[in-house]
Amino acid sequence: MKKYRRSLFSVKNPYDTQSDTVFISAVRENFCYHYTHCQEYRTIAEHFNVDANSFHSIDDIARLPCLPTLLFKRHRLKSAQTLIRATSSGTSGNYSEIGFDIGGLLCALKMSCKIMRKRQLFSLIPCHYIVMGYKPHRSNHTAVTKTAFGATLFAPAISRKYILNYKNGTYTPDFDGILSTLKNLSNAIFPIRFMGFPSYTFFLMKMMEEQGIHIPLKKGSKIMLGGGWKQFYAEQANKATFYNLAEKVFGIKDYDIVEFFGAVEHPILYCDCPNHHFHVPAYSRVIIRDIDTLKPVPEGTVGLVNLITPMICATPILSVMTDDLGILHSGSQCGCGIQTPYLEIIGRVAPTDIKTCAAGAADMLKRGETNDSI
Amino acid sequence: MILYKGKLFDSTEQERILSEMEPYINNTLVKKSLSVETVIAAIDALGKEIASGKQDALLATLLSDNAMQYKLLAATMLSRENLEWKLQTELGGTTSSNGSSVIHSQRMPLGVLFHIAAGNIDGLPAFSIAEGLLTGNINILKLPQADNGLSLEIISRLIALEPVLTDYIMVFDTPSTDIHAMQRMAELADGISVWGGESAVKAVRSLAPTGAKLIEWGHKLGFCYIAEAENLNHITTELFALAEHIATTKQLLCSSCQTIFLNTQNEIDLHKFCKIFLPILENAVLKNRSRTIGERAYLTLMRHTELLEQRIYGKHNATNEYRGENCRLTVCQDSELELSPMMCNVLVKRLPREQIVPVLRRKKGLLQTAGLICTPENRNIYTELFARCGVTRITSAGNMSAYFLGETHDGEYALRRYTKIVDIETE
Repeated sequence: MKKYRRSLFSVKNPYDTQSDTVFISAVRENFCYHYTHCQEYRTIAEHFNVDANSFHSIDDIARLPCLPTLLFKRHRLKSAQTLIRATSSGTSGNYSEIGFDIGGLLCALKMSCKIMRKRQLFSLIPCHYIVMGYKPHRSNHTAVTKTAFGATLFAPAISRKYILNYKNGTYTPDFDGILSTLKNLSNAIFPIRFMGFPSYTFFLMKMMEEQGIHIPLKKGSKIMLGGGWKQFYAEQANKATFYNLAEKVFGIKDYDIVEFFGAVEHPILYCDCPNHHFHVPAYSRVIIRDIDTLKPVPEGTVGLVNLITPMICATPILSVMTDDLGILHSGSQCGCGIQTPYLEIIGRVAPTDIKTCAAGAADMLKRGETNDSI
Repeated sequence: MILYKGKLFDSTEQERILSEMEPYINNTLVKKSLSVETVIAAIDALGKEIASGKQDALLATLLSDNAMQYKLLAATMLSRENLEWKLQTELGGTTSSNGSSVIHSQRMPLGVLFHIAAGNIDGLPAFSIAEGLLTGNINILKLPQADNGLSLEIISRLIALEPVLTDYIMVFDTPSTDIHAMQRMAELADGISVWGGESAVKAVRSLAPTGAKLIEWGHKLGFCYIAEAENLNHITTELFALAEHIATTKQLLCSSCQTIFLNTQNEIDLHKFCKIFLPILENAVLKNRSRTIGERAYLTLMRHTELLEQRIYGKHNATNEYRGENCRLTVCQDSELELSPMMCNVLVKRLPREQIVPVLRRKKGLLQTAGLICTPENRNIYTELFARCGVTRITSAGNMSAYFLGETHDGEYALRRYTKIVDIETE
């Protein structure tokens, strides 16, 4: 059972370019599982005239029913009992809840190990972690919290300091607390590893620069970034600005800054290469789709980002469409040596990135705080 | 980018610039003054440039949708005629004294205004600056995250036309999460003008220094009311205008129509209305189709999601929905005013006349525009009724978002809020 999935996630080189055959076999296997275990998925597949016989070559993955992340935000779809569940952050109020089966989790573990090793993130040298994200709490099921914690296992942890702590039913950022910890650690003999939201990390560095605080990090220190820029999407720091600031404030070179990209609806670990590009791992495929017709477009064209992986059986997330706009580039354009194509995210579909005044009013209505308005 | 002393700087220079702003502002307050005539002449010249087509290339680059409409609106709003009318209407007589005292009251600038601008209308931050200048204030502007660069271009051009304004305008692209920078800007300000949602306003309240005047422009909702639901065939012209309004604003403005109310108890009337209105709306939407990638992608994604939902969850909603190409009318069972899914997806509800007050009063803090479709003899009655509920703008359906000389914003004059009254004793 799920032998092709096992084979796919056993592919040694996480950026193997010869994995098409096993990938399409695993896709067919995963499709059949959801088709027989999830009534909703079956209905959609039938609507698009797709069945187990529809997948022969890698190009056929474009025929997979493509489920928008919005569908998972509005409805709870499942194909099997779940071992654990994870949710998206729900910055706009809605969130996806995705269940994971044990087989899928083992695949995720294998994948993560290979990708981390490739990027040389494992170390036996203990370190202090500064987590620029949420401190785990029983009420917090977000994937971003789980993965940030997971990243603190790459090297033995001496300590973990979180910027977002749960108090009185809410998370609040504690920049001063982080700064004070950093000052205390400035003479520590072990390296420091940051993990978390790029926005918080960027603002921390800006704050330090403004206050003239420079703390050179020990050899082996890293800045790991994940969870996306969230509601600060349009405020993304230019990457070069970010790297320059990191070098100025922490004395850290851009090779030691690592960014992750992922979504709870597509739990594949995208880790940037030394040239800071997100190459598509062997366990995933990306199709960029036309913004009007949803037909696949050639490399180099902007479109909606469709992500495919046969990793999970518990939830039908075999092929999902995000609300990101992106471009797929040929791997050879990068120059880092990895040959799989790389994905560039250029923004989000409108109007989710434009907070309209009318939408803001609705937020207040939902909370029953109408008196707050002027 | 940062605009400071009339020059553009990279955002990385923010710290240096913030650290020297206080003496710079103080120097301007001591040594300079800004005449209203200088400001009017400069803004009028900018408006004329836009109207003459000199800025067409810029507008076409930054605004893929409605560039021409924007040009017309900008040319009108920035004209001398409009500015003088606005000053006269909003500030009126600026002194008061009955002659019995040697002390009189005089309207003066607040001093330094910190604008935290909205991003839902292109170039709106630049207009906010213009209002600050008209009232003689020094202006610090924080651009909204959705700004496409148009505001900075317009403001730079304004300074080029009238270099005297250089010392009165500073623009930052600081993200709103950069609390430290925001706080430093706020500390320099006498007044903070904030456009935005609940979280933005709350955040600004927390960082505003004690005594600074908070000028909040909150989020609002608009709706259309059809008073004679049984005579739909007699209001076709108004329905065309309503459809045009929905298609052009895409329901993204505070004044946009989110919900269409019909004065009826009978759900059948709502279905009758949808059957008549859907083809009109569909036609208007097709005519005003968006050309931006993000919006087109959004609509495609929504359509795809809804198609899947329909397939999975059957027809339970189908009887309440009227779908056209890129638009949809949904018949709802309740009467509450609420935000629609926007982008030409309109809610249709019953609201019998006797229910208007209790229903709308529940949303009194959020009411802005009512587009009223009714017979001329009933117009005054409904207008009065809506005003009593808290609505601050009552127009015909087609003019819900139309601009007019001397208009208020959410029932208030901006220029009044950007000034203070100083009591002065004269000899």
